Amino acid sequence: MSSLALMRWLEGSPERYDAGMRALTFGRVACLHAAVARAAVVSAGDSVLEIGCGTGAVTALLLDRGARVTAIDQSPEMLEQARLRLGASASEVEWIEQTAAETDRFATDRFAAVVLSLCLSDMSLEERAFVLAAAVRCLAPGGRLVVADEVRAPAGWRRRLQRVVRIPQAAAGWLLVGSVSRPIPDLQRELSATGLSLAAPRRWLMGTLGLVVAHKGA
Amino acid sequence: MTVGARCLELLQTAFRFVPWPTEPGLRRLGEPNETSPVLLTGNYDLTVRRLVRALEGHDAWLLVAPCGGINVWCAAAGGHLSTHQVVTVLKTSGVAERVAHRRVILPQLAATGVTALEVFRRCRWNVAFGPVSASDLPEYLATGEKTDAMRRVRFSLSDRLEMAAMWGVPAALIGGALALWLRPAWALPVIGLITAMSIAVFTSYDRLGSARRPVFVLVSSVLALLGTFLAGGEAAALVAAALLPAAIGLLLTFDYAGSTPLEGSGHFEQRKWSIALDLERCEGVYRCWEVCPEACFEKREEDRKVELAHDDRCVRCGACVVQCPKDALFFEDEQGARIEPAVIRKFKLNMLGRRTVDAG
Repeated sequence: MSSLALMRWLEGSPERYDAGMRALTFGRVACLHAAVARAAVVSAGDSVLEIGCGTGAVTALLLDRGARVTAIDQSPEMLEQARLRLGASASEVEWIEQTAAETDRFATDRFAAVVLSLCLSDMSLEERAFVLAAAVRCLAPGGRLVVADEVRAPAGWRRRLQRVVRIPQAAAGWLLVGSVSRPIPDLQRELSATGLSLAAPRRWLMGTLGLVVAHKGA
Repeated sequence: MTVGARCLELLQTAFRFVPWPTEPGLRRLGEPNETSPVLLTGNYDLTVRRLVRALEGHDAWLLVAPCGGINVWCAAAGGHLSTHQVVTVLKTSGVAERVAHRRVILPQLAATGVTALEVFRRCRWNVAFGPVSASDLPEYLATGEKTDAMRRVRFSLSDRLEMAAMWGVPAALIGGALALWLRPAWALPVIGLITAMSIAVFTSYDRLGSARRPVFVLVSSVLALLGTFLAGGEAAALVAAALLPAAIGLLLTFDYAGSTPLEGSGHFEQRKWSIALDLERCEGVYRCWEVCPEACFEKREEDRKVELAHDDRCVRCGACVVQCPKDALFFEDEQGARIEPAVIRKFKLNMLGRRTVDAG
Protein backbone atom coordinates (compact mmCIF):
# COMPACT_ATOMS: atom_id res chain seq x y z
CA MET A 1 0.00 0.00 0.00
CA SER A 2 2.90 2.36 0.67
CA SER A 3 3.90 2.34 -2.99
CA LEU A 4 0.34 3.21 -3.99
CA ALA A 5 0.32 6.17 -1.64
CA LEU A 6 3.61 7.40 -3.09
CA MET A 7 2.34 6.94 -6.66
CA ARG A 8 -0.83 8.88 -5.85
CA TRP A 9 1.22 11.73 -4.42
CA LEU A 10 3.61 11.91 -7.38
CA GLU A 11 0.85 11.58 -9.93
CA GLY A 12 -1.01 14.49 -8.42
CA SER A 13 2.00 16.75 -8.98
CA PRO A 14 0.53 18.70 -11.94
CA GLU A 15 -2.38 19.72 -9.70
CA ARG A 16 -0.01 20.76 -6.95
CA TYR A 17 2.51 22.38 -9.30
CA ASP A 18 1.47 26.01 -8.80
CA ALA A 19 1.24 25.80 -5.02
CA GLY A 20 4.55 23.90 -5.00
CA MET A 21 6.32 26.55 -7.09
CA ARG A 22 4.95 29.34 -4.88
CA ALA A 23 6.28 27.52 -1.82
CA LEU A 24 9.67 26.78 -3.37
CA THR A 25 10.17 30.41 -4.49
CA PHE A 26 8.56 32.06 -1.44
CA GLY A 27 5.97 33.59 -3.73
CA ARG A 28 8.49 35.29 -6.03
CA VAL A 29 7.44 33.15 -8.99
CA ALA A 30 4.43 35.48 -9.46
CA CYS A 31 6.77 38.48 -10.05
CA LEU A 32 8.73 36.42 -12.54
CA HIS A 33 5.59 35.40 -14.47
CA ALA A 34 4.32 39.00 -14.63
CA ALA A 35 7.71 40.27 -15.87
CA VAL A 36 7.83 37.54 -18.53
CA ALA A 37 4.40 38.50 -19.87
CA ARG A 38 5.28 42.23 -19.92
CA ALA A 39 8.51 41.55 -21.80
CA ALA A 40 6.89 39.20 -24.32
CA VAL A 41 3.81 41.19 -25.31
CA VAL A 42 4.56 44.70 -26.52
CA SER A 43 1.25 45.29 -28.27
CA ALA A 44 -2.07 43.47 -28.45
CA GLY A 45 -2.20 40.96 -31.25
CA ASP A 46 1.46 39.89 -30.90
CA SER A 47 1.95 36.28 -31.86
CA VAL A 48 3.71 34.47 -29.00
CA LEU A 49 5.09 30.93 -28.78
CA GLU A 50 5.29 29.64 -25.23
CA ILE A 51 7.60 26.63 -24.92
CA GLY A 52 6.82 24.49 -21.86
CA CYS A 53 3.60 26.20 -20.80
CA GLY A 54 3.15 23.89 -17.79
CA THR A 55 -0.05 24.68 -15.92
CA GLY A 56 -0.64 27.86 -17.94
CA ALA A 57 0.28 30.53 -15.38
CA VAL A 58 2.19 32.59 -17.97
CA THR A 59 -0.23 31.63 -20.77
CA ALA A 60 -3.08 33.34 -18.89
CA LEU A 61 -1.03 36.54 -18.46
CA LEU A 62 0.00 36.56 -22.13
CA LEU A 63 -3.65 36.22 -23.09
CA ASP A 64 -4.63 39.05 -20.71
CA ARG A 65 -2.21 41.32 -22.56
CA GLY A 66 -3.89 40.53 -25.86
CA ALA A 67 -1.37 38.09 -27.34
CA ARG A 68 -2.23 35.33 -29.79
CA VAL A 69 -0.66 32.38 -28.00
CA THR A 70 0.65 29.03 -29.21
CA ALA A 71 1.46 26.98 -26.10
CA ILE A 72 3.42 23.73 -26.22
CA ASP A 73 4.19 21.22 -23.48
CA GLN A 74 5.20 17.58 -23.58
CA SER A 75 3.07 16.65 -20.60
CA PRO A 76 -0.62 15.91 -21.32
CA GLU A 77 -1.31 16.24 -17.59
CA MET A 78 0.15 19.76 -17.52
CA LEU A 79 -1.82 20.78 -20.62
CA GLU A 80 -4.95 19.45 -18.94
CA GLN A 81 -4.29 21.70 -15.93
CA ALA A 82 -3.55 24.68 -18.17
CA ARG A 83 -6.87 24.28 -20.01
CA LEU A 84 -8.71 24.04 -16.70
CA ARG A 85 -6.99 27.20 -15.43
CA LEU A 86 -7.96 29.25 -18.47
CA GLY A 87 -11.55 28.04 -18.51
CA ALA A 88 -13.54 29.65 -21.34
CA SER A 89 -10.42 31.47 -22.63
CA ALA A 90 -8.67 28.14 -23.25
CA SER A 91 -10.15 27.95 -26.74
CA GLU A 92 -8.26 31.14 -27.71
CA VAL A 93 -4.94 29.35 -27.25
CA GLU A 94 -3.44 26.87 -29.71
CA TRP A 95 -2.37 24.02 -27.40
CA ILE A 96 0.10 21.48 -28.78
CA GLU A 97 1.42 18.41 -27.00
CA GLN A 98 4.99 18.20 -28.23
CA THR A 99 8.55 18.47 -27.01
CA ALA A 100 10.62 21.64 -26.93
CA ALA A 101 13.00 19.90 -29.36
CA GLU A 102 10.22 19.94 -31.96
CA THR A 103 10.16 23.74 -32.00
CA ASP A 104 11.94 23.39 -35.36
CA ARG A 105 8.60 22.42 -36.92
CA PHE A 106 7.32 26.02 -36.79
CA ALA A 107 7.78 28.24 -39.82
CA THR A 108 10.77 30.59 -39.93
CA ASP A 109 10.10 34.17 -38.67
CA ARG A 110 6.60 33.21 -37.44
CA PHE A 111 6.46 34.66 -33.90
CA ALA A 112 6.88 38.16 -32.44
CA ALA A 113 8.07 36.58 -29.20
CA VAL A 114 9.16 33.18 -27.91
CA VAL A 115 8.86 32.52 -24.19
CA LEU A 116 10.69 29.89 -22.14
CA SER A 117 9.62 30.21 -18.53
CA LEU A 118 11.09 27.77 -15.99
CA CYS A 119 11.63 25.00 -18.50
CA LEU A 120 15.14 25.50 -19.89
CA SER A 121 16.76 24.31 -16.64
CA ASP A 122 15.01 20.94 -17.02
CA MET A 123 16.96 20.30 -20.23
CA SER A 124 20.45 18.99 -20.90
CA LEU A 125 23.07 21.41 -22.23
CA GLU A 126 22.82 20.13 -25.80
CA GLU A 127 19.02 20.15 -25.70
CA ARG A 128 19.10 23.77 -24.54
CA ALA A 129 21.39 24.74 -27.43
CA PHE A 130 19.13 22.95 -29.92
CA VAL A 131 15.92 24.48 -28.54
CA LEU A 132 17.35 28.01 -28.35
CA ALA A 133 18.56 27.78 -31.96
CA ALA A 134 15.13 26.55 -33.08
CA ALA A 135 13.43 29.32 -31.07
CA VAL A 136 15.59 32.00 -32.70
CA ARG A 137 14.82 30.60 -36.15
CA CYS A 138 11.04 30.89 -35.71
CA LEU A 139 11.34 34.39 -34.23
CA ALA A 140 10.43 37.25 -36.59
CA PRO A 141 13.04 39.98 -37.25
CA GLY A 142 12.88 42.44 -34.34
CA GLY A 143 11.24 39.72 -32.20
CA ARG A 144 11.97 38.93 -28.55
CA LEU A 145 13.25 35.77 -26.91
CA VAL A 146 12.18 35.87 -23.26
CA VAL A 147 13.87 33.38 -20.96
CA ALA A 148 13.17 33.10 -17.24
CA ASP A 149 14.62 30.36 -15.09
CA GLU A 150 16.47 29.18 -12.04
CA VAL A 151 20.02 30.45 -12.42
CA ARG A 152 23.27 30.30 -10.48
CA ALA A 153 23.30 33.03 -7.83
CA PRO A 154 25.91 35.82 -8.08
CA ALA A 155 29.31 34.93 -6.59
CA GLY A 156 29.70 35.42 -2.84
CA TRP A 157 27.48 34.53 0.08
CA ARG A 158 24.38 34.08 -2.09
CA ARG A 159 26.03 31.38 -4.19
CA ARG A 160 27.34 29.66 -1.07
CA LEU A 161 23.84 29.73 0.41
CA GLN A 162 22.42 28.33 -2.84
CA ARG A 163 24.86 25.41 -2.61
CA VAL A 164 24.00 24.75 1.03
CA VAL A 165 20.24 24.58 0.41
CA ARG A 166 20.64 22.59 -2.81
CA ILE A 167 19.90 19.09 -1.45
CA PRO A 168 16.90 19.99 0.76
CA GLN A 169 15.59 22.20 -2.04
CA ALA A 170 15.90 19.34 -4.55
CA ALA A 171 14.10 16.97 -2.17
CA ALA A 172 11.33 19.53 -1.60
CA GLY A 173 11.06 20.11 -5.37
CA TRP A 174 10.73 16.39 -6.07
CA LEU A 175 8.03 15.97 -3.44
CA LEU A 176 6.11 19.17 -4.22
CA VAL A 177 6.24 19.46 -8.00
CA GLY A 178 7.58 16.04 -9.04
CA SER A 179 10.81 17.26 -10.61
CA VAL A 180 14.29 18.32 -9.68
CA SER A 181 15.79 21.20 -11.64
CA ARG A 182 19.36 22.42 -11.71
CA PRO A 183 20.21 26.11 -11.87
CA ILE A 184 21.58 27.20 -15.23
CA PRO A 185 25.25 28.12 -14.63
CA ASP A 186 25.49 30.96 -17.16
CA LEU A 187 22.21 31.77 -18.89
CA GLN A 188 23.53 34.92 -20.55
CA ARG A 189 26.44 33.08 -22.16
CA GLU A 190 24.11 30.42 -23.57
CA LEU A 191 21.82 33.12 -24.94
CA SER A 192 24.75 35.08 -26.37
CA ALA A 193 25.66 32.00 -28.41
CA THR A 194 22.39 32.39 -30.32
CA GLY A 195 23.64 35.67 -31.86
CA LEU A 196 20.81 37.78 -30.39
CA SER A 197 21.46 41.07 -28.60
CA LEU A 198 20.79 40.79 -24.88
CA ALA A 199 19.17 43.33 -22.57
CA ALA A 200 20.33 43.66 -18.96
CA PRO A 201 19.09 40.68 -16.92
CA ARG A 202 16.71 40.98 -13.95
CA ARG A 203 16.93 38.80 -10.87
CA TRP A 204 14.73 37.79 -7.94
CA LEU A 205 15.04 35.62 -4.83
CA MET A 206 18.63 36.47 -3.94
CA GLY A 207 19.60 36.28 -7.58
CA THR A 208 18.51 32.66 -8.07
CA LEU A 209 15.62 33.46 -10.45
CA GLY A 210 16.72 35.27 -13.59
CA LEU A 211 15.01 36.88 -16.58
CA VAL A 212 16.84 37.69 -19.80
CA VAL A 213 15.28 39.31 -22.87
CA ALA A 214 17.15 38.94 -26.18
CA HIS A 215 16.27 40.71 -29.44
CA LYS A 216 16.59 39.44 -32.99
CA GLY A 217 17.97 42.02 -35.42
CA ALA A 218 15.42 43.60 -37.73
CA MET B 1 35.01 -2.68 -11.69
CA THR B 2 36.81 -0.46 -9.22
CA VAL B 3 36.07 -0.58 -5.50
CA GLY B 4 34.65 2.94 -5.68
CA ALA B 5 32.28 2.02 -8.52
CA ARG B 6 31.17 -1.12 -6.69
CA CYS B 7 30.46 0.89 -3.51
CA LEU B 8 28.47 3.42 -5.52
CA GLU B 9 26.40 0.64 -7.11
CA LEU B 10 25.68 -0.87 -3.69
CA LEU B 11 24.60 2.54 -2.42
CA GLN B 12 22.37 3.10 -5.45
CA THR B 13 20.86 -0.38 -5.08
CA ALA B 14 20.04 0.23 -1.43
CA PHE B 15 18.44 3.60 -2.24
CA ARG B 16 16.57 2.77 -5.41
CA PHE B 17 13.65 4.82 -4.12
CA VAL B 18 15.68 7.94 -4.77
CA PRO B 19 16.06 9.19 -8.36
CA TRP B 20 19.70 9.01 -9.40
CA PRO B 21 20.00 10.92 -12.69
CA THR B 22 22.99 10.93 -14.98
CA GLU B 23 23.66 13.37 -17.83
CA PRO B 24 21.47 12.66 -20.87
CA GLY B 25 22.99 12.65 -24.35
CA LEU B 26 25.10 10.56 -26.69
CA ARG B 27 27.94 8.33 -25.45
CA ARG B 28 30.45 6.22 -27.34
CA LEU B 29 30.94 2.63 -26.29
CA GLY B 30 34.21 1.37 -27.75
CA GLU B 31 35.00 2.75 -31.20
CA PRO B 32 31.64 3.09 -32.95
CA ASN B 33 31.32 4.12 -36.59
CA GLU B 34 28.43 5.03 -38.88
CA THR B 35 27.16 1.45 -39.09
CA SER B 36 27.36 0.71 -35.36
CA PRO B 37 24.12 0.00 -33.50
CA VAL B 38 22.39 2.80 -31.62
CA LEU B 39 21.06 1.83 -28.20
CA LEU B 40 18.87 3.95 -25.96
CA THR B 41 18.15 3.83 -22.25
CA GLY B 42 16.91 6.16 -19.50
CA ASN B 43 19.18 8.42 -17.46
CA TYR B 44 19.11 6.30 -14.31
CA ASP B 45 22.77 6.10 -13.37
CA LEU B 46 22.65 2.50 -12.15
CA THR B 47 21.07 1.30 -15.40
CA VAL B 48 23.60 3.17 -17.53
CA ARG B 49 26.51 1.73 -15.54
CA ARG B 50 25.22 -1.82 -15.88
CA LEU B 51 24.52 -1.40 -19.57
CA VAL B 52 28.00 0.00 -20.24
CA ARG B 53 29.51 -2.92 -18.33
CA ALA B 54 27.42 -5.47 -20.23
CA LEU B 55 28.67 -4.04 -23.53
CA GLU B 56 32.36 -3.92 -22.66
CA GLY B 57 34.32 -4.83 -25.78
CA HIS B 58 31.48 -3.85 -28.15
CA ASP B 59 31.32 -0.81 -30.42
CA ALA B 60 28.02 1.03 -30.18
CA TRP B 61 26.39 4.42 -29.70
CA LEU B 62 24.50 4.83 -26.46
CA LEU B 63 21.76 7.43 -26.18
CA VAL B 64 20.82 8.35 -22.64
CA ALA B 65 17.31 9.82 -22.62
CA PRO B 66 16.08 12.11 -19.83
CA CYS B 67 13.62 10.14 -17.67
CA GLY B 68 13.92 11.73 -14.25
CA GLY B 69 16.73 9.46 -13.11
CA ILE B 70 14.53 6.44 -12.38
CA ASN B 71 14.51 2.93 -13.81
CA VAL B 72 13.22 2.22 -17.33
CA TRP B 73 10.06 0.27 -16.46
CA CYS B 74 8.80 2.69 -13.82
CA ALA B 75 9.72 5.68 -16.00
CA ALA B 76 7.89 4.21 -19.00
CA ALA B 77 4.79 3.32 -16.99
CA GLY B 78 4.68 6.73 -15.30
CA GLY B 79 5.18 8.81 -18.46
CA HIS B 80 8.77 9.84 -17.71
CA LEU B 81 10.25 7.77 -20.54
CA SER B 82 7.80 8.31 -23.35
CA THR B 83 7.82 9.04 -27.05
CA HIS B 84 8.64 12.66 -26.16
CA GLN B 85 11.90 11.89 -24.38
CA VAL B 86 13.00 9.51 -27.12
CA VAL B 87 12.24 12.04 -29.86
CA THR B 88 14.06 14.73 -27.86
CA VAL B 89 17.29 12.81 -27.48
CA LEU B 90 17.21 11.54 -31.07
CA LYS B 91 16.84 15.09 -32.35
CA THR B 92 19.15 17.00 -30.02
CA SER B 93 22.04 14.58 -29.40
CA GLY B 94 23.49 14.79 -32.91
CA VAL B 95 23.32 10.99 -33.37
CA ALA B 96 21.69 11.40 -36.80
CA GLU B 97 24.93 12.97 -38.05
CA ARG B 98 27.04 10.09 -36.66
CA VAL B 99 25.30 7.09 -38.22
CA ALA B 100 24.16 6.14 -41.70
CA HIS B 101 21.08 4.21 -40.51
CA ARG B 102 17.93 5.14 -38.60
CA ARG B 103 17.41 2.23 -36.23
CA VAL B 104 17.44 2.64 -32.47
CA ILE B 105 17.25 -0.25 -30.01
CA LEU B 106 15.26 0.42 -26.85
CA PRO B 107 14.97 -1.80 -23.77
CA GLN B 108 11.85 -3.91 -24.12
CA LEU B 109 10.41 -2.59 -20.87
CA ALA B 110 10.26 0.89 -22.43
CA ALA B 111 7.45 -0.42 -24.65
CA THR B 112 4.92 0.56 -21.99
CA GLY B 113 5.67 4.24 -22.54
CA VAL B 114 7.27 4.72 -25.96
CA THR B 115 5.05 4.33 -29.03
CA ALA B 116 7.32 3.02 -31.80
CA LEU B 117 5.07 4.18 -34.65
CA GLU B 118 4.86 7.68 -33.19
CA VAL B 119 8.65 7.96 -32.91
CA PHE B 120 8.93 7.11 -36.61
CA ARG B 121 6.20 9.59 -37.54
CA ARG B 122 7.86 12.41 -35.64
CA CYS B 123 11.54 11.95 -36.42
CA ARG B 124 11.86 9.07 -38.92
CA TRP B 125 13.72 6.67 -36.65
CA ASN B 126 12.75 3.01 -36.52
CA VAL B 127 12.39 1.63 -33.00
CA ALA B 128 13.33 -1.96 -32.21
CA PHE B 129 12.65 -3.30 -28.73
CA GLY B 130 15.69 -5.26 -27.58
CA PRO B 131 15.96 -7.66 -24.64
CA VAL B 132 14.50 -6.97 -21.21
CA SER B 133 17.86 -7.35 -19.53
CA ALA B 134 21.06 -5.52 -20.50
CA SER B 135 23.04 -8.71 -19.87
CA ASP B 136 21.39 -10.25 -22.97
CA LEU B 137 22.46 -7.38 -25.24
CA PRO B 138 25.77 -8.88 -26.48
CA GLU B 139 24.01 -12.02 -27.73
CA TYR B 140 21.14 -9.99 -29.19
CA LEU B 141 23.56 -7.72 -31.07
CA ALA B 142 25.60 -10.67 -32.31
CA THR B 143 22.67 -12.74 -33.57
CA GLY B 144 20.05 -10.06 -34.28
CA GLU B 145 17.55 -12.45 -32.70
CA LYS B 146 15.54 -11.95 -29.54
CA THR B 147 14.96 -15.34 -27.96
CA ASP B 148 11.91 -16.18 -25.85
CA ALA B 149 14.05 -16.02 -22.72
CA MET B 150 15.23 -12.49 -23.62
CA ARG B 151 11.59 -11.38 -23.84
CA ARG B 152 10.60 -12.60 -20.38
CA VAL B 153 11.08 -10.50 -17.30
CA ARG B 154 12.86 -12.46 -14.61
CA PHE B 155 12.72 -12.23 -10.85
CA SER B 156 15.87 -14.11 -9.98
CA LEU B 157 17.42 -14.43 -6.55
CA SER B 158 19.66 -11.42 -7.19
CA ASP B 159 16.62 -9.36 -8.32
CA ARG B 160 14.81 -10.42 -5.16
CA LEU B 161 17.75 -9.46 -2.98
CA GLU B 162 17.89 -6.07 -4.70
CA MET B 163 14.22 -5.48 -3.91
CA ALA B 164 14.82 -6.64 -0.33
CA ALA B 165 17.68 -4.13 -0.07
CA MET B 166 15.57 -1.35 -1.58
CA TRP B 167 12.88 -1.80 1.07
CA GLY B 168 15.03 -3.16 3.88
CA VAL B 169 17.99 -0.79 4.02
CA PRO B 170 16.07 2.51 4.39
CA ALA B 171 13.62 0.83 6.82
CA ALA B 172 16.51 -0.65 8.83
CA LEU B 173 18.24 2.73 9.01
CA ILE B 174 15.09 4.47 10.21
CA GLY B 175 14.30 1.66 12.66
CA GLY B 176 17.90 1.54 13.87
CA ALA B 177 18.03 5.31 14.37
CA LEU B 178 14.78 5.27 16.34
CA ALA B 179 16.05 2.41 18.49
CA LEU B 180 19.34 4.22 19.05
CA TRP B 181 17.41 7.19 20.33
CA LEU B 182 14.90 5.30 22.49
CA ARG B 183 16.79 2.15 23.56
CA PRO B 184 20.35 1.98 22.20
CA ALA B 185 20.88 -1.69 23.06
CA TRP B 186 18.09 -2.63 20.64
CA ALA B 187 19.55 -0.81 17.63
CA LEU B 188 21.52 -3.73 16.16
CA PRO B 189 18.80 -6.35 16.78
CA VAL B 190 16.21 -4.05 15.16
CA ILE B 191 18.42 -3.57 12.09
CA GLY B 192 18.93 -7.33 11.94
CA LEU B 193 15.21 -8.05 12.29
CA ILE B 194 14.20 -5.63 9.55
CA THR B 195 16.89 -6.96 7.20
CA ALA B 196 15.80 -10.55 7.85
CA MET B 197 12.16 -9.62 7.31
CA SER B 198 12.87 -7.95 3.95
CA ILE B 199 14.87 -10.90 2.69
CA ALA B 200 12.27 -13.40 3.92
CA VAL B 201 9.40 -11.54 2.27
CA PHE B 202 10.98 -10.96 -1.13
CA THR B 203 12.43 -14.44 -1.43
CA SER B 204 9.26 -16.25 -0.42
CA TYR B 205 5.99 -14.39 -0.77
CA ASP B 206 5.06 -15.53 -4.28
CA ARG B 207 6.38 -19.05 -3.70
CA LEU B 208 4.11 -19.62 -0.74
CA GLY B 209 0.47 -20.13 -1.60
CA SER B 210 -1.93 -18.35 0.73
CA ALA B 211 -2.64 -21.68 2.49
CA ARG B 212 1.05 -22.26 3.20
CA ARG B 213 1.75 -18.77 4.54
CA PRO B 214 0.31 -19.40 8.06
CA VAL B 215 2.41 -22.60 8.27
CA PHE B 216 5.50 -20.63 7.23
CA VAL B 217 4.77 -18.00 9.89
CA LEU B 218 4.09 -20.64 12.56
CA VAL B 219 7.32 -22.52 11.83
CA SER B 220 9.28 -19.23 11.81
CA SER B 221 7.72 -18.32 15.18
CA VAL B 222 8.65 -21.62 16.78
CA LEU B 223 12.20 -21.49 15.41
CA ALA B 224 12.71 -17.85 16.46
CA LEU B 225 11.37 -18.49 19.94
CA LEU B 226 13.37 -21.69 20.34
CA GLY B 227 16.57 -20.03 19.13
CA THR B 228 16.07 -17.05 21.42
CA PHE B 229 15.25 -19.29 24.41
CA LEU B 230 18.27 -21.53 23.84
CA ALA B 231 20.47 -18.47 23.53
CA GLY B 232 19.33 -17.45 27.01
CA GLY B 233 17.01 -14.66 25.88
CA GLU B 234 14.90 -12.93 28.49
CA ALA B 235 11.20 -12.12 28.31
CA ALA B 236 11.69 -8.98 26.18
CA ALA B 237 13.85 -10.88 23.68
CA LEU B 238 11.24 -13.65 23.47
CA VAL B 239 8.53 -11.08 22.71
CA ALA B 240 10.72 -9.55 19.99
CA ALA B 241 11.40 -12.98 18.52
CA ALA B 242 7.66 -13.68 18.38
CA LEU B 243 7.01 -10.32 16.74
CA LEU B 244 9.40 -11.03 13.85
CA PRO B 245 7.38 -13.88 12.28
CA ALA B 246 4.15 -12.00 12.97
CA ALA B 247 5.50 -9.02 11.05
CA ILE B 248 6.72 -11.27 8.22
CA GLY B 249 3.26 -12.85 8.10
CA LEU B 250 1.69 -9.40 7.80
CA LEU B 251 4.12 -8.34 5.07
CA LEU B 252 3.43 -11.54 3.12
CA THR B 253 -0.19 -10.47 2.73
CA PHE B 254 0.70 -7.06 1.21
CA ASP B 255 0.55 -6.38 -2.48
CA TYR B 256 3.88 -5.12 -3.72
CA ALA B 257 2.38 -3.17 -6.57
CA GLY B 258 5.14 -2.13 -8.89
CA SER B 259 7.94 -3.46 -6.68
CA THR B 260 8.12 -6.81 -8.38
CA PRO B 261 7.44 -7.98 -11.93
CA LEU B 262 5.01 -10.53 -10.49
CA GLU B 263 2.09 -8.25 -9.81
CA GLY B 264 0.46 -5.44 -11.73
CA SER B 265 -0.16 -2.02 -10.28
CA GLY B 266 -2.70 -2.11 -7.49
CA HIS B 267 -5.09 0.36 -9.10
CA PHE B 268 -5.81 -2.10 -11.90
CA GLU B 269 -6.76 -4.65 -9.30
CA GLN B 270 -9.01 -2.07 -7.64
CA ARG B 271 -10.72 -1.19 -10.88
CA LYS B 272 -10.70 -4.77 -12.11
CA TRP B 273 -9.28 -3.85 -15.48
CA SER B 274 -8.08 -6.59 -17.74
CA ILE B 275 -6.55 -6.84 -21.20
CA ALA B 276 -8.97 -7.69 -23.99
CA LEU B 277 -8.27 -8.67 -27.58
CA ASP B 278 -10.44 -7.74 -30.55
CA LEU B 279 -9.69 -10.57 -32.99
CA GLU B 280 -11.46 -8.75 -35.82
CA ARG B 281 -8.84 -6.01 -35.70
CA CYS B 282 -5.85 -8.31 -35.21
CA GLU B 283 -3.80 -8.73 -38.37
CA GLY B 284 -0.96 -10.78 -36.95
CA VAL B 285 1.67 -8.04 -36.69
CA TYR B 286 2.77 -9.81 -33.46
CA ARG B 287 4.10 -6.63 -31.84
CA CYS B 288 2.22 -7.62 -28.65
CA TRP B 289 3.94 -11.00 -28.64
CA GLU B 290 7.28 -9.27 -29.08
CA VAL B 291 6.93 -6.78 -26.20
CA CYS B 292 4.97 -8.77 -23.60
CA PRO B 293 7.33 -9.31 -20.64
CA GLU B 294 5.23 -12.21 -19.31
CA ALA B 295 4.77 -14.10 -22.61
CA CYS B 296 0.97 -13.95 -22.37
CA PHE B 297 0.47 -14.23 -26.14
CA GLU B 298 0.76 -17.18 -28.50
CA LYS B 299 1.10 -16.75 -32.26
CA ARG B 300 -1.62 -18.38 -34.34
CA GLU B 301 0.22 -18.86 -37.62
CA GLU B 302 -2.71 -20.64 -39.33
CA ASP B 303 -4.84 -17.46 -39.52
CA ARG B 304 -2.20 -14.85 -38.66
CA LYS B 305 -3.74 -13.83 -35.34
CA VAL B 306 -2.58 -13.84 -31.76
CA GLU B 307 -4.18 -15.59 -28.85
CA LEU B 308 -4.25 -14.25 -25.29
CA ALA B 309 -3.31 -17.70 -24.08
CA HIS B 310 -1.85 -16.90 -20.66
CA ASP B 311 -3.77 -13.86 -19.42
CA ASP B 312 -3.40 -15.18 -15.86
CA ARG B 313 0.24 -14.05 -16.07
CA CYS B 314 -0.63 -10.53 -17.27
CA VAL B 315 0.71 -7.73 -15.03
CA ARG B 316 -1.25 -5.08 -16.97
CA CYS B 317 1.83 -3.11 -17.96
CA GLY B 318 0.00 -1.99 -21.10
CA ALA B 319 2.95 -2.52 -23.48
CA CYS B 320 0.84 -4.58 -25.91
CA VAL B 321 -1.93 -1.95 -25.90
CA VAL B 322 0.55 0.85 -26.61
CA GLN B 323 2.40 -0.96 -29.41
CA CYS B 324 -0.43 -2.63 -31.38
CA PRO B 325 -0.60 -0.72 -34.67
CA LYS B 326 -4.15 -1.97 -35.27
CA ASP B 327 -5.59 -0.99 -31.86
CA ALA B 328 -6.68 -4.59 -31.41
CA LEU B 329 -5.78 -4.63 -27.71
CA PHE B 330 -7.27 -2.49 -24.97
CA PHE B 331 -8.14 -2.48 -21.28
CA GLU B 332 -11.64 -3.44 -20.27
CA ASP B 333 -13.29 -2.77 -16.92
CA GLU B 334 -15.64 -4.99 -14.95
CA GLN B 335 -18.70 -3.68 -16.78
CA GLY B 336 -17.05 -4.39 -20.11
CA ALA B 337 -16.36 -0.72 -20.92
CA ARG B 338 -13.30 -0.12 -23.09
CA ILE B 339 -10.38 2.09 -22.14
CA GLU B 340 -9.11 2.96 -25.57
CA PRO B 341 -5.42 2.56 -26.53
CA ALA B 342 -5.18 6.31 -27.27
CA VAL B 343 -5.88 7.07 -23.59
CA ILE B 344 -3.15 4.69 -22.43
CA ARG B 345 -0.69 6.07 -24.99
CA LYS B 346 -1.42 9.60 -23.79
CA PHE B 347 -1.60 9.22 -20.01
CA LYS B 348 0.30 5.90 -19.63
CA LEU B 349 -0.72 4.24 -16.40
CA ASN B 350 -1.07 7.57 -14.55
CA MET B 351 -4.68 7.13 -13.63
CA LEU B 352 -4.66 7.04 -9.89
CA GLY B 353 -5.47 10.68 -9.31
CA ARG B 354 -8.62 12.63 -9.97
CA ARG B 355 -8.48 12.12 -13.74
CA THR B 356 -11.14 9.88 -15.18
CA VAL B 357 -10.48 7.47 -17.99
CA ASP B 358 -12.62 9.61 -20.28
CA ALA B 359 -9.93 12.29 -20.26
CA GLY B 360 -8.51 11.18 -23.58
